[in-house]
Amino acid sequence: MTARGTPSRFLQSVLHNGVGRYVCQLKRISLIFSKKGQGSLGVRDFIEEGVVDFAKNNPGTVVYISPQSCRIPKIVAEYLNGNVKEETVTNKASQEIAELITKLSNQSGLDIIRIRKPFHTDSPSIQGQWHPFTNRPPRLCIVFIL
Amino acid sequence: MKYGTTFSFCWSGGSKLLLYHYSHVEVKFIKCFFKMSSFSRSAQQWATFARSWFLIDARMQPPGKIASMCSVRLQGKHKPIYHPLSDIGDHVVVMNTRHIAFSGNKWEQKVYSSHTGYPGSFKQLTAAQMHKKDPTAIIKLAVYGMLPKNLTRRTMMQRLHLFPDDVLPEDILKNLTEELPQPREIPRKLSEYTQEERNAFPMLWTPA
Repeated sequence: MTARGTPSRFLQSVLHNGVGRYVCQLKRISLIFSKKGQGSLGVRDFIEEGVVDFAKNNPGTVVYISPQSCRIPKIVAEYLNGNVKEETVTNKASQEIAELITKLSNQSGLDIIRIRKPFHTDSPSIQGQWHPFTNRPPRLCIVFIL
Repeated sequence: MKYGTTFSFCWSGGSKLLLYHYSHVEVKFIKCFFKMSSFSRSAQQWATFARSWFLIDARMQPPGKIASMCSVRLQGKHKPIYHPLSDIGDHVVVMNTRHIAFSGNKWEQKVYSSHTGYPGSFKQLTAAQMHKKDPTAIIKLAVYGMLPKNLTRRTMMQRLHLFPDDVLPEDILKNLTEELPQPREIPRKLSEYTQEERNAFPMLWTPA
Protein backbone atom coordinates (compact mmCIF):
# COMPACT_ATOMS: atom_id res chain seq x y z
CA MET A 1 0.00 0.00 0.00
CA THR A 2 1.00 3.65 0.05
CA ALA A 3 3.09 5.19 2.77
CA ARG A 4 0.08 7.28 3.80
CA GLY A 5 -2.23 4.26 4.01
CA THR A 6 0.06 2.16 6.16
CA PRO A 7 1.06 3.02 9.73
CA SER A 8 4.40 4.68 10.38
CA ARG A 9 6.39 5.84 13.38
CA PHE A 10 9.42 7.93 14.26
CA LEU A 11 12.75 6.41 15.20
CA GLN A 12 13.00 5.93 18.94
CA SER A 13 14.66 3.74 21.52
CA VAL A 14 12.76 2.33 24.48
CA LEU A 15 13.67 4.65 27.40
CA HIS A 16 17.14 5.48 25.94
CA ASN A 17 18.14 1.79 26.22
CA GLY A 18 21.88 1.43 25.78
CA VAL A 19 22.89 4.92 26.88
CA GLY A 20 23.38 3.63 30.41
CA ARG A 21 22.98 -0.09 30.82
CA TYR A 22 21.40 -2.27 28.15
CA VAL A 23 18.25 -4.12 29.14
CA CYS A 24 17.12 -6.96 26.86
CA GLN A 25 13.62 -6.06 25.73
CA LEU A 26 12.52 -9.65 25.21
CA LYS A 27 10.48 -10.58 28.27
CA ARG A 28 9.23 -14.05 27.50
CA ILE A 29 9.67 -16.52 24.69
CA SER A 30 7.36 -19.55 24.38
CA LEU A 31 8.10 -22.49 22.11
CA ILE A 32 4.83 -24.23 21.24
CA PHE A 33 5.36 -27.49 19.40
CA SER A 34 4.02 -31.04 19.17
CA LYS A 35 5.89 -34.05 20.43
CA LYS A 36 5.19 -36.19 17.38
CA GLY A 37 4.57 -33.98 14.33
CA GLN A 38 6.87 -33.67 11.31
CA GLY A 39 6.58 -29.88 11.27
CA SER A 40 7.97 -29.63 14.80
CA LEU A 41 11.08 -31.65 14.00
CA GLY A 42 13.29 -28.59 13.80
CA VAL A 43 11.87 -27.21 17.05
CA ARG A 44 12.51 -30.50 18.83
CA ASP A 45 16.09 -30.54 17.56
CA PHE A 46 16.58 -26.97 18.72
CA ILE A 47 15.22 -27.83 22.16
CA GLU A 48 17.65 -30.73 22.35
CA GLU A 49 20.73 -28.73 21.46
CA GLY A 50 20.38 -24.93 21.56
CA VAL A 51 17.66 -23.71 23.93
CA VAL A 52 19.55 -24.23 27.19
CA ASP A 53 22.54 -22.24 25.94
CA PHE A 54 20.18 -19.49 24.77
CA ALA A 55 18.49 -19.36 28.17
CA LYS A 56 21.87 -19.21 29.94
CA ASN A 57 23.09 -16.42 27.66
CA ASN A 58 19.94 -14.34 28.15
CA PRO A 59 19.29 -14.30 31.89
CA GLY A 60 16.63 -11.61 31.55
CA THR A 61 14.41 -13.64 29.25
CA VAL A 62 12.08 -16.39 30.45
CA VAL A 63 11.91 -19.40 28.12
CA TYR A 64 8.76 -21.53 28.16
CA ILE A 65 8.68 -24.88 26.42
CA SER A 66 5.09 -26.12 25.95
CA PRO A 67 4.51 -29.35 24.08
CA GLN A 68 0.90 -29.44 22.92
CA SER A 69 -0.95 -31.36 20.28
CA CYS A 70 -0.83 -28.71 17.57
CA ARG A 71 -0.49 -28.88 13.82
CA ILE A 72 1.77 -25.87 13.46
CA PRO A 73 4.63 -25.12 15.84
CA LYS A 74 4.95 -21.49 16.92
CA ILE A 75 7.37 -19.21 18.71
CA VAL A 76 5.64 -16.45 20.71
CA ALA A 77 7.86 -13.58 21.80
CA GLU A 78 6.58 -11.03 24.34
CA TYR A 79 8.37 -7.75 24.92
CA LEU A 80 8.64 -5.32 27.82
CA ASN A 81 6.42 -2.72 26.15
CA GLY A 82 3.63 -5.31 25.78
CA ASN A 83 3.95 -6.20 22.09
CA VAL A 84 3.53 -9.87 21.23
CA LYS A 85 5.09 -11.40 18.14
CA GLU A 86 4.14 -14.83 16.85
CA GLU A 87 6.20 -16.72 14.28
CA THR A 88 5.31 -20.08 12.78
CA VAL A 89 8.29 -22.39 12.41
CA THR A 90 6.85 -25.40 10.53
CA ASN A 91 9.48 -27.37 8.67
CA LYS A 92 12.30 -25.08 9.70
CA ALA A 93 15.74 -26.43 10.47
CA SER A 94 17.21 -26.16 13.94
CA GLN A 95 19.83 -23.65 12.76
CA GLU A 96 17.18 -21.39 11.24
CA ILE A 97 15.17 -21.49 14.44
CA ALA A 98 18.27 -20.53 16.42
CA GLU A 99 18.86 -17.56 14.13
CA LEU A 100 15.21 -16.55 14.44
CA ILE A 101 15.38 -16.65 18.21
CA THR A 102 18.54 -14.50 18.31
CA LYS A 103 16.80 -12.04 15.98
CA LEU A 104 13.79 -11.86 18.29
CA SER A 105 16.00 -11.32 21.33
CA ASN A 106 17.89 -8.49 19.59
CA GLN A 107 14.70 -6.64 18.65
CA SER A 108 13.09 -4.07 20.88
CA GLY A 109 9.33 -4.47 21.09
CA LEU A 110 8.58 -1.48 18.84
CA ASP A 111 6.36 -2.08 15.80
CA ILE A 112 8.05 -3.02 12.57
CA ILE A 113 6.47 -0.39 10.36
CA ARG A 114 7.84 2.35 8.16
CA ILE A 115 10.23 4.61 10.06
CA ARG A 116 9.65 8.16 8.93
CA LYS A 117 13.16 9.45 9.52
CA PRO A 118 16.30 7.36 10.04
CA PHE A 119 17.46 9.78 12.73
CA HIS A 120 16.20 11.30 15.97
CA THR A 121 17.60 13.85 18.36
CA ASP A 122 16.43 15.19 21.70
CA SER A 123 18.34 18.44 21.19
CA PRO A 124 17.44 19.58 17.65
CA SER A 125 18.99 23.01 18.09
CA ILE A 126 22.25 24.03 19.80
CA GLN A 127 22.29 27.78 19.24
CA GLY A 128 18.55 28.10 19.69
CA GLN A 129 15.91 27.62 17.02
CA TRP A 130 15.23 30.58 14.78
CA HIS A 131 12.15 32.67 15.35
CA PRO A 132 11.26 35.97 13.66
CA PHE A 133 12.85 38.07 16.40
CA THR A 134 16.36 36.53 16.36
CA ASN A 135 18.68 38.92 14.53
CA ARG A 136 16.02 41.61 14.39
CA PRO A 137 17.74 44.70 15.83
CA PRO A 138 15.41 46.81 17.91
CA ARG A 139 16.26 50.05 16.15
CA LEU A 140 13.90 52.19 18.12
CA CYS A 141 12.26 49.95 20.67
CA ILE A 142 9.06 51.92 21.07
CA VAL A 143 6.18 50.12 22.67
CA PHE A 144 2.71 51.33 21.90
CA ILE A 145 0.10 50.66 24.55
CA LEU A 146 -3.24 51.34 22.93
CA MET B 1 -4.72 36.16 13.32
CA LYS B 2 -2.34 38.24 15.35
CA TYR B 3 0.89 36.27 15.62
CA GLY B 4 2.94 39.43 15.53
CA THR B 5 1.38 40.97 18.59
CA THR B 6 1.73 37.95 20.80
CA PHE B 7 5.40 38.48 21.61
CA SER B 8 5.39 42.19 22.29
CA PHE B 9 4.02 45.37 20.91
CA CYS B 10 7.48 46.68 20.11
CA TRP B 11 8.23 47.94 16.65
CA SER B 12 10.73 50.43 15.40
CA GLY B 13 9.17 53.72 14.30
CA GLY B 14 11.55 55.07 11.65
CA SER B 15 9.55 57.66 9.79
CA LYS B 16 8.36 60.89 11.35
CA LEU B 17 4.88 60.41 9.90
CA LEU B 18 4.39 57.22 11.86
CA LEU B 19 5.08 58.90 15.19
CA TYR B 20 2.93 61.90 14.29
CA HIS B 21 -0.03 59.76 13.41
CA TYR B 22 -0.02 57.99 16.77
CA SER B 23 0.47 61.07 18.94
CA HIS B 24 -2.77 60.36 20.76
CA VAL B 25 -1.30 57.10 22.06
CA GLU B 26 0.90 56.68 25.14
CA VAL B 27 4.50 55.96 24.23
CA LYS B 28 6.76 54.12 26.66
CA PHE B 29 10.27 52.76 26.32
CA ILE B 30 10.29 49.15 27.45
CA LYS B 31 12.97 46.56 26.75
CA CYS B 32 11.33 43.39 25.55
CA PHE B 33 13.03 40.33 26.97
CA PHE B 34 11.60 36.80 27.14
CA LYS B 35 13.44 33.50 27.31
CA MET B 36 12.63 31.55 24.16
CA SER B 37 14.70 28.55 25.24
CA SER B 38 12.22 27.79 28.02
CA PHE B 39 9.39 27.24 25.49
CA SER B 40 7.84 23.80 25.03
CA ARG B 41 8.34 22.09 21.67
CA SER B 42 4.96 23.10 20.30
CA ALA B 43 5.38 26.69 21.46
CA GLN B 44 8.84 26.84 19.86
CA GLN B 45 7.43 25.54 16.57
CA TRP B 46 4.61 28.08 16.78
CA ALA B 47 7.20 30.81 17.33
CA THR B 48 9.37 29.66 14.41
CA PHE B 49 6.48 29.59 11.93
CA ALA B 50 4.79 32.77 13.14
CA ARG B 51 3.64 35.21 10.47
CA SER B 52 4.96 38.75 10.94
CA TRP B 53 3.46 41.98 9.65
CA PHE B 54 5.84 44.45 8.01
CA LEU B 55 5.20 48.13 7.32
CA ILE B 56 6.81 50.03 4.41
CA ASP B 57 6.42 53.76 3.80
CA ALA B 58 6.49 54.36 0.05
CA ARG B 59 6.72 58.16 0.17
CA MET B 60 9.22 59.44 -2.45
CA GLN B 61 10.38 55.87 -3.16
CA PRO B 62 10.75 54.12 -6.54
CA PRO B 63 7.87 51.63 -6.82
CA GLY B 64 10.12 48.89 -8.24
CA LYS B 65 12.38 48.87 -5.21
CA ILE B 66 9.38 48.85 -2.88
CA ALA B 67 7.88 45.99 -4.88
CA SER B 68 11.03 43.88 -4.72
CA MET B 69 11.22 44.31 -0.92
CA CYS B 70 7.55 43.31 -0.70
CA SER B 71 7.95 40.25 -2.90
CA VAL B 72 10.93 38.97 -0.86
CA ARG B 73 8.90 39.12 2.34
CA LEU B 74 5.66 37.82 0.83
CA GLN B 75 7.45 34.71 -0.37
CA GLY B 76 9.25 34.22 2.94
CA LYS B 77 12.70 34.40 1.38
CA HIS B 78 13.99 36.49 4.26
CA LYS B 79 13.60 33.50 6.59
CA PRO B 80 16.19 30.72 6.99
CA ILE B 81 13.33 28.18 7.06
CA TYR B 82 12.19 29.11 3.54
CA HIS B 83 10.74 26.47 1.25
CA PRO B 84 8.55 27.27 -1.79
CA LEU B 85 5.86 24.81 -0.71
CA SER B 86 5.74 25.87 2.94
CA ASP B 87 3.44 28.93 2.64
CA ILE B 88 5.75 30.79 4.95
CA GLY B 89 5.38 34.37 3.73
CA ASP B 90 4.56 37.33 5.92
CA HIS B 91 2.08 40.16 5.56
CA VAL B 92 3.32 43.44 4.11
CA VAL B 93 1.51 46.76 4.53
CA VAL B 94 2.55 49.56 2.18
CA MET B 95 1.38 53.08 2.98
CA ASN B 96 1.59 56.36 1.04
CA THR B 97 1.42 54.57 -2.30
CA ARG B 98 -0.06 57.76 -3.73
CA HIS B 99 3.31 59.48 -3.17
CA ILE B 100 5.64 57.09 -4.97
CA ALA B 101 8.31 58.59 -7.21
CA PHE B 102 9.26 57.11 -10.56
CA SER B 103 12.71 58.07 -11.78
CA GLY B 104 13.24 59.51 -15.25
CA ASN B 105 10.24 60.13 -17.50
CA LYS B 106 8.43 56.96 -16.56
CA TRP B 107 5.28 58.78 -15.52
CA GLU B 108 4.73 59.65 -19.20
CA GLN B 109 6.65 56.88 -20.93
CA LYS B 110 5.79 53.72 -18.97
CA VAL B 111 2.68 52.10 -20.49
CA TYR B 112 0.40 49.58 -18.81
CA SER B 113 -1.50 47.55 -21.42
CA SER B 114 -4.49 45.29 -20.99
CA HIS B 115 -6.76 43.31 -23.32
CA THR B 116 -9.93 41.58 -22.20
CA GLY B 117 -9.95 39.29 -25.25
CA TYR B 118 -12.86 40.97 -26.98
CA PRO B 119 -12.10 42.81 -30.21
CA GLY B 120 -11.50 46.51 -29.77
CA SER B 121 -10.71 46.26 -26.06
CA PHE B 122 -6.99 46.86 -26.13
CA LYS B 123 -6.33 49.57 -23.55
CA GLN B 124 -3.06 51.34 -22.94
CA LEU B 125 -2.60 53.66 -20.00
CA THR B 126 0.44 55.68 -19.09
CA ALA B 127 1.69 55.36 -15.56
CA ALA B 128 0.34 58.82 -14.73
CA GLN B 129 -3.17 57.94 -15.94
CA MET B 130 -3.11 54.59 -14.15
CA HIS B 131 -1.97 56.26 -10.93
CA LYS B 132 -4.74 58.85 -11.18
CA LYS B 133 -7.35 56.13 -11.69
CA ASP B 134 -6.10 53.93 -8.82
CA PRO B 135 -3.21 55.08 -6.59
CA THR B 136 -2.38 51.54 -5.44
CA ALA B 137 -2.37 49.90 -8.89
CA ILE B 138 1.26 50.60 -9.83
CA ILE B 139 2.72 48.92 -6.78
CA LYS B 140 0.16 46.11 -6.98
CA LEU B 141 1.11 45.28 -10.58
CA ALA B 142 4.81 45.57 -9.81
CA VAL B 143 4.60 43.12 -6.89
CA TYR B 144 2.38 40.76 -8.91
CA GLY B 145 5.00 40.62 -11.62
CA MET B 146 7.80 39.93 -9.14
CA LEU B 147 6.17 37.01 -7.36
CA PRO B 148 6.73 33.44 -8.63
CA LYS B 149 4.33 32.58 -11.43
CA ASN B 150 2.46 29.78 -9.72
CA LEU B 151 -0.73 29.18 -7.75
CA THR B 152 0.77 30.51 -4.51
CA ARG B 153 1.00 33.98 -6.09
CA ARG B 154 -2.67 34.79 -5.43
CA THR B 155 -2.44 33.91 -1.73
CA MET B 156 0.70 36.05 -1.45
CA MET B 157 -1.13 38.96 -3.09
CA GLN B 158 -3.90 38.60 -0.53
CA ARG B 159 -1.29 39.17 2.18
CA LEU B 160 -0.18 42.43 0.57
CA HIS B 161 -2.09 45.45 1.93
CA LEU B 162 -1.80 48.73 0.06
CA PHE B 163 -2.97 52.10 1.32
CA PRO B 164 -2.73 55.30 -0.71
CA ASP B 165 -2.20 57.53 2.35
CA ASP B 166 -0.85 57.04 5.84
CA VAL B 167 -4.27 56.35 7.33
CA LEU B 168 -4.29 52.68 8.32
CA PRO B 169 -7.22 50.77 9.81
CA GLU B 170 -7.05 49.89 13.51
CA ASP B 171 -6.82 46.14 13.16
CA ILE B 172 -3.86 46.38 10.78
CA LEU B 173 -2.13 48.86 13.08
CA LYS B 174 -2.43 46.38 15.93
CA ASN B 175 -0.80 43.61 13.92
CA LEU B 176 2.35 45.41 12.76
CA THR B 177 5.65 44.11 14.11
CA GLU B 178 8.40 45.85 12.15
CA GLU B 179 8.86 48.89 9.96
CA LEU B 180 11.35 48.37 7.14
CA PRO B 181 13.83 51.12 6.24
CA GLN B 182 13.15 52.96 3.00
CA PRO B 183 15.30 51.81 0.05
CA ARG B 184 15.98 55.30 -1.32
CA GLU B 185 17.40 58.19 0.66
CA ILE B 186 15.07 61.13 0.05
CA PRO B 187 17.07 64.15 -1.20
CA ARG B 188 16.36 67.36 0.66
CA LYS B 189 14.74 70.32 -1.06
CA LEU B 190 16.59 73.61 -1.21
CA SER B 191 14.13 75.08 1.26
CA GLU B 192 15.07 72.32 3.75
CA TYR B 193 18.74 73.37 3.88
CA THR B 194 19.70 75.86 6.60
CA GLN B 195 21.29 79.20 5.66
CA GLU B 196 24.63 78.09 7.23
CA GLU B 197 24.74 74.96 5.05
CA ARG B 198 23.95 77.03 1.97
CA ASN B 199 26.74 79.47 2.78
CA ALA B 200 29.14 76.61 3.53
CA PHE B 201 28.54 75.04 0.10
CA PRO B 202 31.72 75.38 -2.01
CA MET B 203 31.50 77.91 -4.89
CA LEU B 204 33.90 77.76 -7.83
CA TRP B 205 33.36 81.37 -8.80
CA THR B 206 31.01 84.11 -7.82
CA PRO B 207 28.89 85.41 -10.68
CA ALA B 208 30.02 88.94 -11.38
